[in-house]
Amino acid sequence: MRVSLFITCLVDQIWPTIGTSMVEVLRRAGCEVEFDARQTCCGQPAFNSGYRSEARMMARNLISIFEDSKAEAIVSPSGSCTAMVHHFHELFPDDEQWRKRSEAVATRTFEFGSFLVNVLGIDEVGASFRGRVTWHDACHALRDLHVHAEPRRLLRSVRNLEFVELANADSCCGFGGTFSVKYPEISVAILDNKIEAIEKAGVRAVVSGDASCLMQIGGRLTRRQSKVKYMHLAELLAAQEP
Amino acid sequence: MAEHQNKVVRREILESIRRNLAASKPLDAIRSEHKHPSIPRVTESSAPAGLTLVEQFCESLNAVGGHCEVVTDITGATRVVEQIIELLQARRIAVSDSQLVARVIEKMQSDVELHTSASTAALFECDLGITGAQWAVAETGTLVLESERERHRLVSLVPPVHVAVLQAHSLRQTLGEILKALGENHVLNLNRTVTFITGPSRTSDIELTPAIGVHGPGELYVIIIEHSTNE
Amino acid sequence: MNHLTAETFDENARQALLDPQLRGALRHLAKVFSERRKTAIHTVPDWEALREQARAIKDETLAHLDQYLEAFADNAAHAGAQIHWARDAREACNIVAELIRERNAKHIVKSKSMATEEIHLNQMLEAAGWSPVETDLGEWIIQLAHETPSHIVAPAIHKSKRQIAELFVDKLGIEPTDDVSMLTGAARRVLRQRFAEAEVGISGVNFGVAETGTILILENEGNIRLTTSLPRVHIAVMGIEKIIPRLVDLDVFLKVLPRSGTGQRLTAYQSLITGTKKRADEEGPEEVHIILMDNGRSSMLASPVTRQSLACIRCGACLNACPVYQQVGGHAYGSVYPGPIGAVITPQLVGLSKTAQLPFASSLCGACREVCPVKIDIPELLLHLRSEVVTAGRKGTAEAPAKRKRIEGLLFRGYALAWSRRWMYEWSGKVLRVLQLPMVQNGRIGKVGNFLSRLVPPLGAWTAGRDARPLAPRSFREQWFAQYSRKP
Repeated sequence: MRVSLFITCLVDQIWPTIGTSMVEVLRRAGCEVEFDARQTCCGQPAFNSGYRSEARMMARNLISIFEDSKAEAIVSPSGSCTAMVHHFHELFPDDEQWRKRSEAVATRTFEFGSFLVNVLGIDEVGASFRGRVTWHDACHALRDLHVHAEPRRLLRSVRNLEFVELANADSCCGFGGTFSVKYPEISVAILDNKIEAIEKAGVRAVVSGDASCLMQIGGRLTRRQSKVKYMHLAELLAAQEP
Repeated sequence: MAEHQNKVVRREILESIRRNLAASKPLDAIRSEHKHPSIPRVTESSAPAGLTLVEQFCESLNAVGGHCEVVTDITGATRVVEQIIELLQARRIAVSDSQLVARVIEKMQSDVELHTSASTAALFECDLGITGAQWAVAETGTLVLESERERHRLVSLVPPVHVAVLQAHSLRQTLGEILKALGENHVLNLNRTVTFITGPSRTSDIELTPAIGVHGPGELYVIIIEHSTNE
Repeated sequence: MNHLTAETFDENARQALLDPQLRGALRHLAKVFSERRKTAIHTVPDWEALREQARAIKDETLAHLDQYLEAFADNAAHAGAQIHWARDAREACNIVAELIRERNAKHIVKSKSMATEEIHLNQMLEAAGWSPVETDLGEWIIQLAHETPSHIVAPAIHKSKRQIAELFVDKLGIEPTDDVSMLTGAARRVLRQRFAEAEVGISGVNFGVAETGTILILENEGNIRLTTSLPRVHIAVMGIEKIIPRLVDLDVFLKVLPRSGTGQRLTAYQSLITGTKKRADEEGPEEVHIILMDNGRSSMLASPVTRQSLACIRCGACLNACPVYQQVGGHAYGSVYPGPIGAVITPQLVGLSKTAQLPFASSLCGACREVCPVKIDIPELLLHLRSEVVTAGRKGTAEAPAKRKRIEGLLFRGYALAWSRRWMYEWSGKVLRVLQLPMVQNGRIGKVGNFLSRLVPPLGAWTAGRDARPLAPRSFREQWFAQYSRKP
């Protein structure tokens, strides 16, 4: 299957190994991967902060780029960015044409874990990772895209991995985009509930499908000098520890 | 408020509603592009296998802290009332104007002060209130009392204990059935107040710790008479 | 103690986070309500279908609200109720005051009603010389404490048993006790007196049935039944959105509201009141007054996004599920309605100028939407209100936005103009990589100093509690073009 990468600005600039891991895994799964470097950002930060005309500019840009792609699927390592694309139509209340164009792109756009399980129909990708691992459900992936079973299936298929369900897996990590810096004390208070559960779970690593959540969780883990690793699903699935 | 002014305000509010709904129409059309198609039909929960309505009712009532006694006839009901009075050492009993209750109390042996058509002041002094119930809901353990058929509002509420007597044929499976029956034939228009009672009065307002018997009765006894009689 | 405003939500929240007793109470609330709700919704075969149906009934009603409202008013009047219409809080309060004044009544009891909180009825009545007594235990506790409710369903949930006991010792002169049933018993004794002498009972309304003119009020304690049965005058304050079409529609709502609100299958009592008694010797009030109140609700009908706010049945489930509410509690919101639903209806009821923080006080996690029995898409509403705040700021229709907001506006404008162009996006990445160099140590950015914090506030805000991940030495696209080819 031909896949076009919707890499997201966060992964592109701050966490490229998520991108390279994703490419690795998609190729292992037999996909032909392409990357249109004209892409920049989906506009989610603007949309979430109430700047709709700015978000609209970014949306038009992204839609035009991906419309050109002949790929059967557009795959993203971010649940929130994928959800943003699915919400693009809300940015064009006065423009039926653009709403249609948004929809056409959205129907082909998938979150990475969901794509593997639901579109490619696979849950085993030749990965191996030793130790106890737990999963954090990113809010947009969970509640907007209904991704829940897929990452768990993928993780349980990793060789040598012992999957542990986190007590509050589906609770928000407290990131929420600009919320994390507009209300940092509340953001960290919410985060600490997540961190306590992770530490109680006694795991080697916590895994999630969204780099934003991982920045939030990872940032606190390192500040607290925790030994727990934090990884994106793509990074873990790309791992092939002997 | 002056009648005229009230009419003016009524008109303004209704007009405001209409105006705003009209303004929404074009946006509604866009939204329906994404609408979910049909409304799923809700299935009624099926009765737990093997349990009669009476058994279900008792189970539901017990689950919310009420007491359920099943008897075969009026005499049985009288016995149970006597037992409750004995247990609680009740002295002053208020009764509603229910004919069924009158028949239950008729042969009662207990040495108590009976108050029929009690004044409010008297009710506040009573230890126990006895009413009937026009319907009951097996699924939830709920009693349904209609003001048109029985003077129930204060007798079932003011004394600290409420005893309700009803006949088994008054039971229905679900609350939905009761609402349907009440809505039919303008039954509700005849009934100024219909009260649903499910267990004793309660609260969780202090640290979410349950406490029973706040303003309403702290004890609820329901006596179900299985044998059908004329009432 | 409270009476905080929404304008200082950030400061209110900071204070709340420093209160260990409050945080303990909120942790307890979150845990208990979540468990009770989960258990309760498993007692119906198809919870999702019930939510759909509840929402469908509300949608239908709101789409024809004028017709249903008129039918309700006419049917209730036909049954003997006196219907009053109020455009806003002031009119509603005046109607109540006038009714009480005309009847020379002195002893007033009240049952819990968020609508009466919304219009600050007690304040108005007290200013006019009356002393309305709250009879719901939680409401009475906060009345004694001179506070406002911190939760829609459990108003005193922020208070510990100990605090309540101390309050009772102080105000009622009871013996100190740790026992919840003793405290409840004390409340019962005192309030029974009030009921006995009450001349006017004021209540809210949960649902108004258009078909029959019936009002339904539900409760657990029994104070609503007493408030609406004992006094000779009953005044019910009702938001115009409380209408539902038919009596049988109550079935769905009686299934979803108790389960969502308190985790019960059904509350202890429901009163279905239609008009007044027909004969003088019947029980119940001589007069039943229903005040139909707009107070900003009809404006919410103007778009499908905002209209869904009116579907709310005030169950409080969204508060219990909200990670923000769970951390800061209800008072921090500084508004009558707290939590997720409060964050969306308060700005609509009182305007955005004094409530502009509320729509931003959310991580948009969507837990509220998930538990809402009528499927209100609160995140969608929050996002809508955020864009309203920005638009008002730009049009100059709001109060002059703070300097911070203006700078933010410029930044987002710059971001959109720059990042919609590939070369500027790539170039800005290169620049940031250079600028960040002095801040990076051991592969991360730790707590930045005061100067940087002031220069780049978000960086200071982030790094106060968390390390920041720096831009990677080589972006993905650089690596792609170095290692991978576009051709297979």
